[in-house]
Amino acid sequence: MTALTVAGLSAREVGRRRTALLLVISLPLWFYLVRRDLTGQSTRMLTLGIAWAVSTLTLFVVNAARGVDPRLRLSGASVAGIIGGRLIAMSGFGLLLAGGYLILVGVDQDIDRFWAIGLMMGITALIAAPFGSLVGALLPRELEGALALLSVCAVQMLADPAGTIAKFMPFWSAREIGTYAVDGGGTDLLWRGLAHAGAVWLLCTGGTLAVFAYRLRLARYPEPVLERA
Amino acid sequence: MSDWPLRFEAELVRLGVQPERARQLGAETTAQAGEHAADPDRFFGPAHLYARHLVAELQSPTAAVPSLPGPVMLRLAGVSKRYRRREVFSGVDLTVRGGEVAAIVGANGCGKSTLLRICAGLTRPTGGDIRRARRVGFVPQDGGTAGWLTAEEHFTLFGAAAGMAPRKARSTGTHLASRLAWRPGHRQPVQELSGGTRQKLNLVLGELHGPDLLLLDEPYQGFDQGSYLDFWRQVREWRDAGRAVVVVTHLLHELENVDHVLDLGAHGGGDR
Repeated sequence: MTALTVAGLSAREVGRRRTALLLVISLPLWFYLVRRDLTGQSTRMLTLGIAWAVSTLTLFVVNAARGVDPRLRLSGASVAGIIGGRLIAMSGFGLLLAGGYLILVGVDQDIDRFWAIGLMMGITALIAAPFGSLVGALLPRELEGALALLSVCAVQMLADPAGTIAKFMPFWSAREIGTYAVDGGGTDLLWRGLAHAGAVWLLCTGGTLAVFAYRLRLARYPEPVLERA
Repeated sequence: MSDWPLRFEAELVRLGVQPERARQLGAETTAQAGEHAADPDRFFGPAHLYARHLVAELQSPTAAVPSLPGPVMLRLAGVSKRYRRREVFSGVDLTVRGGEVAAIVGANGCGKSTLLRICAGLTRPTGGDIRRARRVGFVPQDGGTAGWLTAEEHFTLFGAAAGMAPRKARSTGTHLASRLAWRPGHRQPVQELSGGTRQKLNLVLGELHGPDLLLLDEPYQGFDQGSYLDFWRQVREWRDAGRAVVVVTHLLHELENVDHVLDLGAHGGGDR
């Protein structure tokens, strides 16, 4: 109940930040247009753009709720209800964004395994929400969080995809599934990508819940012994 | 015809009024609203709140006789707080019963807000013993709201946290706001409200789930004179309804309205 209410109101809150929303929605498009002539490059860059957009928006939503969350806890809400609700909203936004760009790719590119492109974008959007939330939980100030996301995204783009560093990046799965979708690799690429995505999602979701469970913990005091004046 | 009278009667019965008497009171209130050609929901506010109010009125002995303090709602014994080497306060004792108001006073930086957060359970004390009623409402000095949501959406959100249905939370919030002479707009996000109105929202959110103990951290910041008087009238109503109120304040002329004063200043704690 609380989670669904938090999800609905978080979605409304995001919807009212029109300028920020417009910039966030358009961000992946610039990533895509830069290498539009190369199908593999453009779709992977587009996916990273979606990841950056969703995680940054989640970071700001998490930070904006910093004053409200302790009061919700005092009113009786659980940490899972508050954080879960926000993750549901931001994951939903990410899937909508991915869906929109999937239509663009479908119209603009000729790809045999189109469904795998959809899988790559959807999974990336689903990872981006808890990843942004985890960064917001660990770095409470917006500037610091945004710089951390920028650093991760830059390393993700610049690191050698076959190297060790790239494998430790949260969106490495996009590279694996993208290669399967565009370059016609074997299904081992797909499974590796899915396994990596699952592990990162669990880590980020579990991490964000654990950090907020600590940060939003309430001291439990015993009730006074019933005595009248 | 709305189901207000039925909900009103059901709440009266739930509060211990005999069914026959509840029916009679329901008929009387409906007739009263009818005399003013008004819908009971608009005239009296939410049925469950008016039922609680009526029961409290019926149970109070007389207006002239002050009610006895109720059970203990908050008890602090030897509470201390230390941040690394800096001791904020130590040896703080305070007992507040239902039907009492306590004020925490002291100079800037002496730990008034920290103590209130400790009472709420948001900050842990370094030492001492705390006993507290389970249902607590906390109103911070500022912040505590989401800038892009409207007041009604805040009622829904905080109501959901307390397990209230959205409609009930909204009607309760709107009714509580009217007691502070404020009518929340449907579309106005909180960030567009004045500082004083935001604090009224904070007060309503602190009270929305009907807590036994209210912890208020200088909640009148930005209030105009009328709102300030409304606030203290509200504090007295809470006290008369048997709730315990702890308010952080620096306005010493209001201390005659409170039952306990805890000065956290020069002595680093001590109830007088």
